Amino acid sequence: MLKDKYGKEIEDILARYPVKRSALIPLLYVAQRDQGYVTEEAMTEIAGILKLTPPQVYETITFYTMFNLKPVGTFHIQVCKSLMCALVGSDTVIGWIKSKLGIGPGETTADGLFTLSAVECLAACGTAPMMQINDDYYERLTEEKVDRILADLKTAGVSQLKSGPYMWPLPVTVKGET
Amino acid sequence: MPDTTTPTVRLTIDGITVHVPKGTLVIEAARRVGVMIPHFCYHPKLKPDANCRMCLVEIEKMPKLQTACSTPAEEGMNVRTATTVVNDAHKSVLEFILANHPLDCPVCDQGGRCDLQDFSHQYTPTTSRFAETKRVFPKDYFSPLIETQMNRCVQCLRCVRYCDEVMDVKALAPTGRGTMTEIKHFGPHPLDCEFCGGCVQICPVGAITSRLSMYEYRPWMLKRVDTICGYCGDGCQITVQTKGRELIEVNSAHGAGRNNGDLCARGFFGFHAAAHPERLTHPLIRRNGVLVQATWEEALEFVADQAGKIKAAHGGQSFGGLISGRCTNEELYLFQKFMRMTIGTNDVDSSARYGHINGVQAMRRVQGTHRWTVSYDDIVAADVLLLVGTNVTETSPITGLKVKEAVKKRHAALVTLEGLEPSIESISNIANLSRHHFCVPTPLLPSAVLGLLKALIDENLVQPDLMRQQPAYVNAVTDALKRISWQDIQTATDYDAVAFAEAAKALAGGRRLVVLAGQGLLRSANGYGGSLNLLDLLLLIGKLDQPGCGFAPLAEENNDQGTIEMGAVAEFLPGPCDITSRPDRDRIASVWGGELPPNGGASLVGMLDRAGAGTMKALFVVGENPVASLPAQVRAEESLRKLDLLVCQELFLTETAALAHVVLPAASSMEKAGTFTNTEGHVQAVRQAIEPIGESRPDWEVFVALSSLIGTPLEYAESRDILKEIRSLISGYGSLGPSPMLPRVDRTTVDRYLADGYRQDLDERYRLDVQGLRPDGTVQLEMVQSLFHSGKLSTRSKGLMQVEGAGALRMNPHDAARFALKDGDRIRISNTRGEATTTVKIVNRIPRGCAWFPDHFGQTTMHLFECAIDPVTHAPSMRTTSVSVMRVA
Amino acid sequence: MPQHELILLKNMMQPGYTGSLADYERTGGYQALRKTLGKTAPADVTAAVRKSGLRGRGGAGFPTGVKWGFLPKDYQGPRYLCCNADESEPGTFKDRQLMERDPHQVLEGILLACYAIGAESAYIYIRGEMVLGSKILEHAIGEARAAGYIGKNILGTGLNVDIWVHRGAGAYICGEETALLESLEGKRGLPRIKPPFPATHGLYNKPTVVNNVETLANLPHILNRGGEWFASIGSPPKSTGTRVFCVSGHVKRPGNYEVPMGITVRELVYEHAGGMRSDKPIKAFIPGGASAPFLTPAHLDVKLDFESVAAAGSMLGSGGVTVMEEGTSMVWAALRLMEFFYHESCGKCSPCREGSSWLVQIMRRIVAKRGRMEDLETLSDLCKNIAGRTVCAFGDAEVAPIQSTLKHWREEYASLIREAEAANLVMPEAAGARRES
Ligand SMILES: Cc1cc2nc3c(=O)[nH]c(=O)nc-3n(C[C@H](O)[C@H](O)[C@H](O)COP(=O)(O)O)c2cc1C
Ligand code: SF4
Ligand code: FES
Repeated sequence: MLKDKYGKEIEDILARYPVKRSALIPLLYVAQRDQGYVTEEAMTEIAGILKLTPPQVYETITFYTMFNLKPVGTFHIQVCKSLMCALVGSDTVIGWIKSKLGIGPGETTADGLFTLSAVECLAACGTAPMMQINDDYYERLTEEKVDRILADLKTAGVSQLKSGPYMWPLPVTVKGET
Repeated sequence: MPDTTTPTVRLTIDGITVHVPKGTLVIEAARRVGVMIPHFCYHPKLKPDANCRMCLVEIEKMPKLQTACSTPAEEGMNVRTATTVVNDAHKSVLEFILANHPLDCPVCDQGGRCDLQDFSHQYTPTTSRFAETKRVFPKDYFSPLIETQMNRCVQCLRCVRYCDEVMDVKALAPTGRGTMTEIKHFGPHPLDCEFCGGCVQICPVGAITSRLSMYEYRPWMLKRVDTICGYCGDGCQITVQTKGRELIEVNSAHGAGRNNGDLCARGFFGFHAAAHPERLTHPLIRRNGVLVQATWEEALEFVADQAGKIKAAHGGQSFGGLISGRCTNEELYLFQKFMRMTIGTNDVDSSARYGHINGVQAMRRVQGTHRWTVSYDDIVAADVLLLVGTNVTETSPITGLKVKEAVKKRHAALVTLEGLEPSIESISNIANLSRHHFCVPTPLLPSAVLGLLKALIDENLVQPDLMRQQPAYVNAVTDALKRISWQDIQTATDYDAVAFAEAAKALAGGRRLVVLAGQGLLRSANGYGGSLNLLDLLLLIGKLDQPGCGFAPLAEENNDQGTIEMGAVAEFLPGPCDITSRPDRDRIASVWGGELPPNGGASLVGMLDRAGAGTMKALFVVGENPVASLPAQVRAEESLRKLDLLVCQELFLTETAALAHVVLPAASSMEKAGTFTNTEGHVQAVRQAIEPIGESRPDWEVFVALSSLIGTPLEYAESRDILKEIRSLISGYGSLGPSPMLPRVDRTTVDRYLADGYRQDLDERYRLDVQGLRPDGTVQLEMVQSLFHSGKLSTRSKGLMQVEGAGALRMNPHDAARFALKDGDRIRISNTRGEATTTVKIVNRIPRGCAWFPDHFGQTTMHLFECAIDPVTHAPSMRTTSVSVMRVA
Repeated sequence: MPQHELILLKNMMQPGYTGSLADYERTGGYQALRKTLGKTAPADVTAAVRKSGLRGRGGAGFPTGVKWGFLPKDYQGPRYLCCNADESEPGTFKDRQLMERDPHQVLEGILLACYAIGAESAYIYIRGEMVLGSKILEHAIGEARAAGYIGKNILGTGLNVDIWVHRGAGAYICGEETALLESLEGKRGLPRIKPPFPATHGLYNKPTVVNNVETLANLPHILNRGGEWFASIGSPPKSTGTRVFCVSGHVKRPGNYEVPMGITVRELVYEHAGGMRSDKPIKAFIPGGASAPFLTPAHLDVKLDFESVAAAGSMLGSGGVTVMEEGTSMVWAALRLMEFFYHESCGKCSPCREGSSWLVQIMRRIVAKRGRMEDLETLSDLCKNIAGRTVCAFGDAEVAPIQSTLKHWREEYASLIREAEAANLVMPEAAGARRES
């Protein structure tokens, strides 16, 4: 039960909204964080918390692309394939990943580590091509960078190549400052 | 109806000027002048969603085409619906809608009555420009009763919106997005809902259809008959569709009947009961202890012969008659006339005795009417509604829809005294819509009513005029209530003075207040007293005789109200007139041309007692089943076995019919004509949809035949002749227009009641029933009405049996946990009177400490109950008891 | 290189600026709030914004002060402000930078807007994918709350405003303001029919203002320096202030450039974004995100302000400028965008829902060299039949790429089809219309 595990967090979420149903997406995130995807039990429990019917939860969850209703790989690689990234090589990025991991969009590696998806614009067109892996953005991708990211994730579970707070282009550094 | 002071606006549509109330949508304004604007997503019952874009029209001064379904008419608007631009738009929208449609009309059950087909015919060329791959949804199992064919869906969301806005069920989920939007239930689960059939009815195409009639017909092959549903007191108009002798489908057109086209599962999916293979098709006579097939002549002569002998030996007084509230008015009327005139007994009773009589007697005593002084329209227009013991969704679903409409669309304040825990489940729960909800187990409902009354007094909400004019009454009530302490009310009901005060203020503050009482109250030991107290409540706040206000006790069976009005109970002659009233007796006797038997006939349980004691020798039972409907303590079976003659007119060989000497096969309401009177007192025409099954005959024909064989002929050629006679006794009786004629509160009666009519039983009615505490480790068992059944008849309907095929003890999850039970566990329930085994169904809406058993499968548990008889109305009450629960292997 | 004064990006361009509360305050942050709250009447705040000429930066370019003025004056119940941080328009990535690099600037804008419209709750609806952005905002809100800028009795004025971050979950349509409200209410993000407008019936049916991140970020500056100051920047009277243009595509230095409205695309590309990456000439550009029609090199000297871009047949939209070099297939480019729109159509309106699936299939066939000449006719017909006939502006947006590329580069379509005809491959192969996961 989510309520046992995340009671305080759930209460905090509920407190933000005058109408309960607004907490639906935030609670679905809690559920997804817990299991990597949103289980049927979680949907039923959330329906109960918000006084909704399970179909009401279901109609909402299926509208949004970020919720998984089935387990996905530990690392969900989402390469942007919209025009702006495509202009500077996002299809090639998908190609690299395909050849390195042996999976195409919609597939998961046999070890369950990586799932690859081609997704629509992620608001990083200035630093294209790019991809998102779980919560993190990786931008201005090159083949070498992709290699390092995948290796980092495999070995350490994290990669330092992920983006920090966004700014591009970077200001020209004035002499004497870092 | 609500007052119509809304201002009107004037607009022109295709050059025709029309005046409509402000706020009317352009599409409706156009309809008024005969201009039909094509549409899919629009439906007058639903809030506009304007998603299909089919209804585009040109409106002068607006730059773009507008959707007529969502644009309110404005003063001076100039609308054009048939210009080239508009026609092009219609064509192109239709082209889009058809793009992904499978065009599988030849195998679609909607073919011939499909909006898409009709509009396509009107607007599109026969060839499509769409040469791409159509989207295909994988076929999913949807539900045992409802079929989906999502490739045909036009995504208008009418089904989803109906399920939410009208039904408040919210069982349908539009999933995914874009072209892949698909209507589903929850994940991979089959649909679980109220099965009202609303989605099937409202779908403009063939995407949602009934599985009961899949692929069996083409609409134009069907014969249609408009009649009245035979399941509950709501009295919905249904259209029965048949092919030859076969029942194919039931639906109800938008705008039709008191139900305005809405139905419940019983009405929509329950129609097959009539066609059940176990229907009795031949008369049966008991020979050497067994029932054997006989001809009608043999059977009728046998009955007449036996009856004649018994009458000669013991007199008419040794007979009794019991008839079901499912019969038509004509049959009820003729039955009581037969018993009174042909046989010569006043031992006549009917199923109205089980509870409806309580509400009617209370109304007669306080306000001098036997009917509601309000109608469904007043429920919809109410600004405050009080529901007491109705569980309205399950017992009176359409009345429930009126309540939902009042609350959801018109923002009425709802006060509920219901043994219901607010909960979200697969069926709607009226407590969820309540502003002041008192979750009080059924036996304590009268105590909660007292709480409301006490709060009215405490809060000084008594109408000042009443205080001035009838101080004695007000003081008597006040004194009686003062003797009850808040402490005790709180102990009994779990609610405190503050909660009751809030609710009382809401009730007194409304302009239009309707009080609905249901079986929970009417069928309880306090059914009569509780009803009187609710009438007191209306009196005290000065609302009893106000327009739009009134008391509305809900009838359970489809013609309970008619039963009483036809005099098919011991205390009433047709009218109903008191059987003790000299002038009425004389009037009726002169019309009937004979002597009436003396007053004071026995009612239901009294008759059984007489049979048991040997003073009753013969009993005619029409459509009733006392053996299965009464607790063991009444010893119905034992008593009936002592009779010299038991005649049953029945659809099926029930427990009671199995004991009969003669069983006569009766025609169901699908197979005959007549009238039913619904809970509002609206008399409606019942029409024959199919030929009687086998050799069965309408009950009235049997009374006619028997009367002539017995020697006091009652002659009628058709049921309409009986209605004519009814009209001669009750002027104006019969179906009259689309809405009921409402009686007004009778001032003289009210004054008499206020002067001293209240005195005789006030103290008893205003006493808190401090029930002995339920022993530890038990639950309060209640016999209840399920949404999916009505009496036992519906258990013969293949559709309804697929939704609920067996009785199960429903209990709250906390109690289930208390007894360590899981859903579906087999259990034994027992008390000092006996035990029974059944299964458990965990249901959230049941209050803690309570357990419900649907009375349609009551045979299993009936013997656990005890029966109490109301001293005034003689209504038996036997719906609650306490039992302990144990899991069995 | 930029000659003009930066407004929105000024702080973050300072070396070492972290966007923390301390950094923000050091550069004069929250002064506008201090100056305004309880000192200037809310109506005067609205008046100042109206005077500034500030127009919405989310896409539609509606004058912000005018929008605020639509709220009912005498309404007693709650009102809401929603900050539209859904930034999902392909080609747009400015709000992300504003939020992640200088979150307090956005928060101060939100607080000022709340004050002006009388809202006590504001929700920042941020697109679900921007996890980092939402964390940065949450952190900043925490700092501001601790410092007394957010919460009860702000700066001792007796005013209360709460700000919450609400994450979307992957649906472009939720950037449309009424879909945003539906989504924020926990429902499917389907746009509502208008009227009624959010100003009267918005979040929970209460009066509501929806404003874009960049729009709101301008407010502290307008209140600090006055409406006239702002109105003098850019291309007055109708397009005032600066815009953060998001330059992407085949340029040397893509990224966000804050410039006064009214500079030309040529200046933006060649003077700011470093020119073309391979020094090939520009073939096409989109001036305002994926929803804006494509323009040609003939339009390079069109001024980037609302009116001039509209006159050129496109729109300034969200400020996403995507540049394509010579050699890029316009049919392919239009298809990429069409695929986006097909993926994102919410499915409410039949023309948009069915039209997008139809258009995308025709486009795929043409690109795969299985087109037919009559497809061109069908394409333009379908586009015409979708535009203007839907609940929201998505319908107009989704046809922009095809309509504009057909207009300027019809020959490219024709030549792909001729190739198909030459190869005699005219029958469509069942490619399947199913959505890709
Ligand atoms: C399909 C569609 C998508 C939109 N997406 C966004 C968006 O991502 N961000 C945004 O700020 N506005 C978006 N808008 C514009 C909003 O509807 C709205 O006009 C804007 O948030 C108002 O804020 P502003 O007046 O400050 O621009 C979108 C509009 C449409 C029709
Ligand atoms: S135009 Fe498209 S995205 Fe907008 S409401 Fe209609 S279907 Fe949805
Ligand atoms: S009927 Fe008007 S848009 Fe569907």
